[in-house]
Amino acid sequence: MSRAEKAGAVDTDAYSDVWVFVEVHDGDVMTVSWELLGEARGLAEDLGEDLVALVIGEDVDDVGREAVERGADRALVADDPVFEPYRADPYGEQFRALVEDRHPAIVLIGGTHTGRDFAGRVAVPAHAGLTADCTELGVDDDGLLEARRPAFGGNVLATIVCEDHRPQMATIRPGVFSAADPDPDRDGQIERVDPVVDERDTVSEVRERVVGDTADITEADRIVAVGAGCDGDLGPARELADALDAELAASRKAVDEGWVDGSRQVGQTGKTVRPELYVAVGISGAVQHVEGMNDSDAVVAVNDDPNAPIFEHADYGVVGDLFEVCPALVERLREDGLVDAADAEPEVKP
Amino acid sequence: MTDDPTIVVGVKQVPDDDEVRIDPDTGHLDRASAPAVLNPPDRDALEAALGLRDAAGGTVVAVTMGPPTATDVLEEAVAMGCDDAALITDRAFAGSDTWPTSLTLAAAAESLGADVFVCGEETTDSSTGQVPPGIAAHLGWAQLTYVEGLEPEFDDDRLVARRDVEGGYEIVAADLPVVVAVAYGEFEPRPAGLHRKLYAETEFEPLELSADEIGLDDEEVGIDASPTEVGGMETVEPVERERETVDTAEELADALADAGVVG
Repeated sequence: MSRAEKAGAVDTDAYSDVWVFVEVHDGDVMTVSWELLGEARGLAEDLGEDLVALVIGEDVDDVGREAVERGADRALVADDPVFEPYRADPYGEQFRALVEDRHPAIVLIGGTHTGRDFAGRVAVPAHAGLTADCTELGVDDDGLLEARRPAFGGNVLATIVCEDHRPQMATIRPGVFSAADPDPDRDGQIERVDPVVDERDTVSEVRERVVGDTADITEADRIVAVGAGCDGDLGPARELADALDAELAASRKAVDEGWVDGSRQVGQTGKTVRPELYVAVGISGAVQHVEGMNDSDAVVAVNDDPNAPIFEHADYGVVGDLFEVCPALVERLREDGLVDAADAEPEVKP
Repeated sequence: MTDDPTIVVGVKQVPDDDEVRIDPDTGHLDRASAPAVLNPPDRDALEAALGLRDAAGGTVVAVTMGPPTATDVLEEAVAMGCDDAALITDRAFAGSDTWPTSLTLAAAAESLGADVFVCGEETTDSSTGQVPPGIAAHLGWAQLTYVEGLEPEFDDDRLVARRDVEGGYEIVAADLPVVVAVAYGEFEPRPAGLHRKLYAETEFEPLELSADEIGLDDEEVGIDASPTEVGGMETVEPVERERETVDTAEELADALADAGVVG
């Protein structure tokens, strides 16, 4: 067992720069990575330090270039077949070597499944402080990272700090920050780093990877979200989503039941969304869900329970059977020309 | 080849989410008065571990790190079918964040001779999900997180998992020993049998181990070894909403049009 020195405190002055882990799968970058670069640009400027994109993968030079265009001063690129697809053990080993060598002060990682898998692994050998699922970031007068996360079901925002250990690490919930647009004229250095991992030393193997539903609900202007009240029948909600040209999303319950893919989950353990219109269909409105949609411009709730907490968090509510309300709403919206008429071939949504 | 695998399941006692009340004076949650229960995602972990034993044999041992009262969740684990259970308890653990917590559970895994260490996705009281990868990192083991299904290939010293990833899934084969974190809601926990329940509540006594007994020094664990600290808490102001209730879908359409939300 490898263990850090006593208590693992370090000379914090020896650490500088803000790193963002850029999560790449098969050449595609997770949007949250760009969101973090946008947010971290400000942190790096407050600190007077560099913003560094850490890109690990195979054939990812372009990703390094794009990271510079999106705000990084430098991109560190570890490019090797051993890094595609993602596995915790080779990524962890590469990261450990880089931290030992370069001493970053702050490392930010998107709170996706991969990001959480990676962050939990790499924080240990560095004896780093790691805060999970942050929704706000800042630096105090001493340059200490203030990582804020909702606690106690979202009623409280807790600020977590890490005084004596480095790097200060945090995972950040997808959808909280805005991605910066790429600026093709931005200058920055792209540095290739040597892979320190050999395939023979890995302890895991990805036999198959199947990713089909790549919709990003954090980008949607309109969302229709389903919950337990749908009882497995998503027809009425899908029809409403089609009419409104909205993305389908879900509460944790609907995801756990297997009705909707986890990438569409809104809430504490899912994504934060802030669309112009959020329609909650058959969602009771547990705090963990509300936390992920409370910044929406307008919230509509359809639920047959007049006491459902969701009505406290909605601008407009209809107490009624969603299997009746949704079709009637679609019909009225179309009649009044508030949405486009029905397509001959309704769009197939996952 | 691993023919008699030791499968260790990490469980935790947490405040019952449904019973936690807000202290009206501070606005903070009053967790002390909430009854303590088994962390719900850990039921999936227990089922996954027992399912592995059903398929491949071996022994399932539940382990928890906590005060002596945490024995309750070990009894629940034994009632569900675990062969044995261990309470890792020491005053030195007080104030541990995820770093020393994962170190402690890693040391427990070694002491108990684990081939597979199964955890729930996260705990409902802190929701970090950091401990399972942390355990794997401390031990240098493989890790499988967000696991929806498991297939033992113990003859080849491997465990194969279906993992939930954004937008799909992947099938990953990991070398033993391995740490597994199962996706919450993916395993249907079996009910406790009556005899087993009676045994757990009356006869069963868990193994009790201190920091020293699992090979840890006091200064490696607890608050002094925890990199993070809570710097402050602020109450979140609720978002103001119209909270207008309408009776029909037609009225809703009109209200949305009037507000300029559609159209």
